[in-house]
Amino acid sequence: MKYDAVVVGAGPAGTVTARFAAESGAKVLVIERRQEIGSPVLCGEGVSRKIDEWGMLDGKRWIANKMEGARIYSPDGTMVKLSAEMAGNETGYVVYRDIFDQELARKASEAGAKILMNTNATELLTEKDKIIGVKAKRYDEDLEIEADIVVGCDGVESKIGQWAGIETRLDPKDLETCCQYTLTNIDCKDAFCDFYLGKKIAPGGYVWIFPKGKDIANVGIGVLGNLSESGMPKKLLDDFISNNPNLKNGNPIRFLAGAVPVANPVESVRDNLILVGDSARQVDPITGGGITHCLEAGKIAGETIGKAVEQQQFDKETLSVYETGWKEAFGKKLKRNYMLKEIFLDFEDKTLNMLADSIKDIKFDEISTFGLVKALVLKHPTLLMKLRPLMKISSEV
Amino acid sequence: MGKPKAIVDKNICLACGGCISVCPQDALYMNGGRALVTEEKCISCAICIRICPIGAISGRNASNEI
Repeated sequence: MKYDAVVVGAGPAGTVTARFAAESGAKVLVIERRQEIGSPVLCGEGVSRKIDEWGMLDGKRWIANKMEGARIYSPDGTMVKLSAEMAGNETGYVVYRDIFDQELARKASEAGAKILMNTNATELLTEKDKIIGVKAKRYDEDLEIEADIVVGCDGVESKIGQWAGIETRLDPKDLETCCQYTLTNIDCKDAFCDFYLGKKIAPGGYVWIFPKGKDIANVGIGVLGNLSESGMPKKLLDDFISNNPNLKNGNPIRFLAGAVPVANPVESVRDNLILVGDSARQVDPITGGGITHCLEAGKIAGETIGKAVEQQQFDKETLSVYETGWKEAFGKKLKRNYMLKEIFLDFEDKTLNMLADSIKDIKFDEISTFGLVKALVLKHPTLLMKLRPLMKISSEV
Repeated sequence: MGKPKAIVDKNICLACGGCISVCPQDALYMNGGRALVTEEKCISCAICIRICPIGAISGRNASNEI
């Protein structure tokens, strides 16, 4: 088996990369260890409306609900409301992630990429230290898949990166440990995504309620790894639900766990190797959102692979077009929001309450995480000193 | 008797991969839709136990078979 590129992992990063590589003329194989793409869903299922600009998905089957806005609740319940026209990139769709992922895989297949399920990468295939593919296990069969480029889209626990010598291991302070229910028999009369903050609610993270329909929502929690203990996210989420008058009578029809990297990005390119998605830490450290980055970076990665195949050049320099591309697209935002995360972690609950109270009546022209911070800095010039380096990075975006 | 090694309860694990991504020894891996521990690599640091969102990982001594 010899391919131009072998993509490890059939999540959004993998299948979008595969699709655009195949469309650029590359011979591509995607391997996926699971038996069904998109399942189990490891996600809150909120996706920015930005994905509309790219038109990568057909039809509407993957959309559960369109969001009108978002509400952020400080620890004492003070609400900051972002309505649709103001909510910018922070709101959009609540999706069925399994259908969403399968639709992206279908598009990859349509473009000519081959997909092999139940196939688990076990190590890199090398020749004199040069990466020439991956070894994999499919049921009891050992496979050697040769490829000029190996693409690691193997998620938060990326082994491909590690095997290539890239430090992909996460410090617990750079990981949100999550779990979520799909709850039915609740009341979601308005299409708002709700976020609840507070050290007692979700240390270093938040509880979310993303409505998927009038009586059903994805309700979950993320807790920062270094502030968590065994089973804490589930316990806090169960407490939240049983104390919430609307949610406490809900019935769960699904329970899932997840892990989200909220770290600084790692090296995403080596000779004959590319990392895309969670494996490259392409996640917003404030919101934990990663889908739009996967799509954006996957397209750039796929096109870079196409060009590399055309030139028959697979060295780091040739593939670096990808790294430059995604860093231009959203790299500065990730860097800025990582600094923001560090600053916000230091805030006590009473500070968050005070901050929320000071901006609760503001009408913003444009809302993003940055828009909120700008408003906060204007209201609280003392915060400015801490945030100054951050504003400097942001003004370049 | 050494320090307790990590063990994943296969009936609880939901394969989120969090433990694998924080293990400093690369002692955890995914297999058949759940995380597993390579006991020889485990150094009993308990980071995986703390990180598990649903309490699927615990410590056990070699003599303390489950």
